[in-house]
Amino acid sequence: MFISLQWLREFVPYTGTVQDLADRLTMQGLEVEAILDPFASIAKIVVGHVVDRAQHPEADKLSVCTVDVGGPEALQIVCGAPNVAKGQNVPVALMGTTMPGGMEIKKAKLRGVVSCGMICSERELGLSEEHAGIMVLPAEFKPGQLLVDALKLEREVIEVSITPNRADCLSVLGIAREAALGFGLPLSMPKLNLVEDEGAGDATKVVRIDIADGELCPVYRARVLTGASIGKSPDWMRYRLLAIGQRPISNIVDVTNYILMELGQPLHAFDRTLLKGDVIRVAPAKDGQSITTLDGAERKLLGSDLLIWDAERPVALAGVMGGANSSISDASTEVLLECAIFRPGTIRKTARRLALPSEASYRFERGVDQVGSLFALNRAAQLMAEVSGARVLKGIACAEPKPWADRSHIFRIDRCNALLGLNLTPEFCRTTLTGLGCGVDFPNEGADPACWQVSSPSHRLDLEREVDLFEECGRVHGLDRIPAVLPKISKALDSVQLSDTEFGFLQGLKAWAVGAGLREAVNYSFVGTDDLDRLNLPVEGRIMIANPLSEDQNVLRLEIAPGLLNNVRHNLSQGNASLRLFEVAKAFVADPASDTSARENSRLGLLVHGARHSQEWPWEQGEADYLDAKGLVENLLTHYRLGSADYVLEPGHAYLEPCVRVELPGKNGPTLIGRIGRVQPKIADAYHARKDIWLADLDADLLRSLTRATKPVFKSLPKFPPVRRDVTVICPATLKASEVEAAIRELKPKLLESLALVAVYAPEGSPERNLTFRLTYRHAERTLVDKEVDKEHGKVLGGLPQKLPVRI
Amino acid sequence: MLKSFLEGLDGLTLECEARRGQACSLKDLEALRVEFLGRKGKLAGAMVALAQMGPEDKPAAGKKANEVKTALTALLESRQAELEAESAQGALAGFDPSLPGRRPAPGSLHPVTLAMQEICEVLTGLGFEVVAGPEVENDWNNFEALNMPPDHPARDMQDTLYVSENIVLRTHTSPLQVRTMMSRKPPVAVIAPGKVYRRDSDITHTPMFHQIEALLVDTNVSMADLRGTLTAFVRQLFSPDTKVRFRPSFFPFTEPSAELDISCVLCGGEGHVAGAPCRVCKRTGWVEIGGCGMVDPNVFRQVGYDPETVTGFAFGLGVERVAMLKYGIGDLRMFFENDVRFLEQFS
Ligand SMILES: [Zn+2]
Repeated sequence: MFISLQWLREFVPYTGTVQDLADRLTMQGLEVEAILDPFASIAKIVVGHVVDRAQHPEADKLSVCTVDVGGPEALQIVCGAPNVAKGQNVPVALMGTTMPGGMEIKKAKLRGVVSCGMICSERELGLSEEHAGIMVLPAEFKPGQLLVDALKLEREVIEVSITPNRADCLSVLGIAREAALGFGLPLSMPKLNLVEDEGAGDATKVVRIDIADGELCPVYRARVLTGASIGKSPDWMRYRLLAIGQRPISNIVDVTNYILMELGQPLHAFDRTLLKGDVIRVAPAKDGQSITTLDGAERKLLGSDLLIWDAERPVALAGVMGGANSSISDASTEVLLECAIFRPGTIRKTARRLALPSEASYRFERGVDQVGSLFALNRAAQLMAEVSGARVLKGIACAEPKPWADRSHIFRIDRCNALLGLNLTPEFCRTTLTGLGCGVDFPNEGADPACWQVSSPSHRLDLEREVDLFEECGRVHGLDRIPAVLPKISKALDSVQLSDTEFGFLQGLKAWAVGAGLREAVNYSFVGTDDLDRLNLPVEGRIMIANPLSEDQNVLRLEIAPGLLNNVRHNLSQGNASLRLFEVAKAFVADPASDTSARENSRLGLLVHGARHSQEWPWEQGEADYLDAKGLVENLLTHYRLGSADYVLEPGHAYLEPCVRVELPGKNGPTLIGRIGRVQPKIADAYHARKDIWLADLDADLLRSLTRATKPVFKSLPKFPPVRRDVTVICPATLKASEVEAAIRELKPKLLESLALVAVYAPEGSPERNLTFRLTYRHAERTLVDKEVDKEHGKVLGGLPQKLPVRI
Repeated sequence: MLKSFLEGLDGLTLECEARRGQACSLKDLEALRVEFLGRKGKLAGAMVALAQMGPEDKPAAGKKANEVKTALTALLESRQAELEAESAQGALAGFDPSLPGRRPAPGSLHPVTLAMQEICEVLTGLGFEVVAGPEVENDWNNFEALNMPPDHPARDMQDTLYVSENIVLRTHTSPLQVRTMMSRKPPVAVIAPGKVYRRDSDITHTPMFHQIEALLVDTNVSMADLRGTLTAFVRQLFSPDTKVRFRPSFFPFTEPSAELDISCVLCGGEGHVAGAPCRVCKRTGWVEIGGCGMVDPNVFRQVGYDPETVTGFAFGLGVERVAMLKYGIGDLRMFFENDVRFLEQFS
């Protein structure tokens, strides 16, 4: 919110700089975000005196003025306004001045006559909507004076960011209280000078207030004014409102805004002649009913919305916006001025549902000072009388079903110091609390002297508990003056956990991936439904975001692939043609059984695309393929001691082709760890990839639990040498290497220690290929002799062609 | 006869000495060896005469023959050593140490991970334990238990992405405070790193970012302990002269609450670098990296702790913010584009 320094100084005699004030407020918890000059855009406009005015020789509607702007020579300025006249003081934009709209004033010729500047209207200066003619300034202004100085416009405004707990600071008064506290200055309220006009009648006789539920509206007061004449507010009020970004409207409405900004009390002015009957009722809406608010929109209401009614119909949406049927117009003369307090939650609900945030609702939903509201009403009535010529009826029509009750809390100074880590003295705490407006009761004799009773003031709705008072003491002392002490962190024995936390495992997984030469990507957890549809992923199980920022961020990732594929598109568009990426992140699937409605599963995604190696010598060139992706997975499984997996073709996968299931064999059948595959070329096309994208998607949670179950177990090193024999199997190209390997193992050659594929020879175009396996034989207790190896190896050579359509 | 035999042998030595220099390769040298010392070589030829000698001459002739054999062998070996040295030198001359190595592909961690790991390392070193939790969270854990009842204006502080009326994408890592305290008795000292989500996207906000939350609950935890922990933390994370500033603020789940500023890492708190206004702290000398405070008694009540017997502190840091400060990254949005030219800078 914006606070003008001039206005603030009416409440507190602060004489320091705006920067010091800003710094102090910031360190008191009221963050000053900016220091502004609200009239910077007209700072160069000067006062000019029209020494002479002549008719333009060529144009009826133009005047040629001679204007004294304080310089050695008067300027000739052509002016099109009908009201310009000799002897006026006027605002002048000199040559070189940039107007609020961005236009630069230059020497110009208008229908043949030179013009050296511009005489401005109020609208051109952003001071009002007035543009029928130029702005005429008071006669006492001096030519050459800066307009902003002559008009005494406010030049220093601070923008303060107010946290939701500090409703009391949503006003000049509130910030003034903080400034007074911060600088040890007295706070002074504006003097109340309200003159009630007994002759005009008695408000309590004219209108009666009826509140249905004191919880929804603890107090409603109204004053009645008569004989108002609606018009422009005085300049000082208009300029002051302008300075803090409020558009002046008319004197009565401006006063309500002025008081709202000054004291934080929202008010509403009704045209009393438009109110039916002599009662104002505060009662909830009926479900389904509607009201036309003063912006002309019809609002459908719920039973939870609170309305202000006259004898017959709703006339305002309480605390949010007035009704169109009873608002002040230029013709109004009779005013009913409402000053009430409404239940914060009710106002908030209505304002949010109807998307009708206003300065009033903003304050009501944060809490308004119930005790202070009376002063606000009286000051508003006084100002209205002053600016509109209205007379104020005697008395206040009022209902206060729930008067303000003092809230009292204990305050234990030792606890305060223990919590803050400070040694505040009782004197300091007492001064601080009373300075905040708290009532401090000291304990009776004999009672604990360190336990006080403290009542908090009605404008500090946030001081609800003892700890809130501790915070105030700390804040005023300066939280930044709290010393630094390194705590001893104690732990309970029974909360000691295994060291391999989820976080630790995932970090380890990332470390593996980095070692494997992959770069880590981090993508948003949400993608667009398009991204999932493109991959033919099921609609079932998707978790949609109810209020997404955009359509490409409206659903949580079902799998890790969509994010990585988007990275392919981005990188290819940037000319990064070869990619080795990984991502560790969660995939989300709807799960009604979960207390969060989602099942979250950490996944490891690996992606290779383009050149397998660096393009530099001495690496051989080649495109990444299945064996690169699979090699990474095999390396990972070895890294986690998970042994070798089975790699099983899975036809018909949603977006991978081929798709290979990575299954770890186990006693209870295979465990699916994840999949490796090539993104279907048609889909890859959508990501602008012309080369194959190979992807592996692995279940990181599963890896973690499987890894937890395996431990390295030491085996003695072999003492006797092995004997190695190779066998080359000529087999149909369609026969899988794993089938040959399985067949060899099924022949159960004794003493076989290990079996490895050492060569593959696949001549181009041949229906056959040669697979060379190396068999390693070893006896644990003695050196093998050739004869016994020959016998076992012979079993393989003889047995294979019988089991499979192969030759040796 | 003996005399001419002995002279003949001496002649062999002289001849070998003269010719060995002409052997320019190991192959030439081998031919020379065969010529002199081979089975049918010159020494062997001379030895035929030795066999025919009388017993009185044999010892002297035999001795001489042995001497000559040794001498010839030595001559040839020394030449071999010379030739070998020459050839090794030749081979070294062709060795090029400047050729590129067979480099395995380099991998790299994302800067968010780098910063996160470093933060976690420092905090676990101080005694905190890492906990994790779900990113899709229910309203109670994300808001209500943290002293943000429905229809409370404090909810405006975080623009929330909703899955349904009661399910949100967690807006902060603070629900981990709730989950941890609900499942453990004090003392508690945990940190919770992770992704968080807000309905906010502009030049300084992304709808997903990373936070680290720390929570310490015990008897007698004070705000001085909070400041001490944070001071130790930022000194290790940034530099030993980094200062901490507490600026009073408001978070519903802490009381008192403070914004956590540190002295600017670029200008060291001076506000300017070489006379120019500092672009990191915009002349203030301070940069905000998170929020902190003492756990609000209402939060303790919600999780079943007694606020009269325990106190605690909590703080939360923006990880991207830390990464930007540590690595000098200017544009937040680069974090999630995953351009490899960006990623490879963090190798
Ligand atoms: Zn700086």
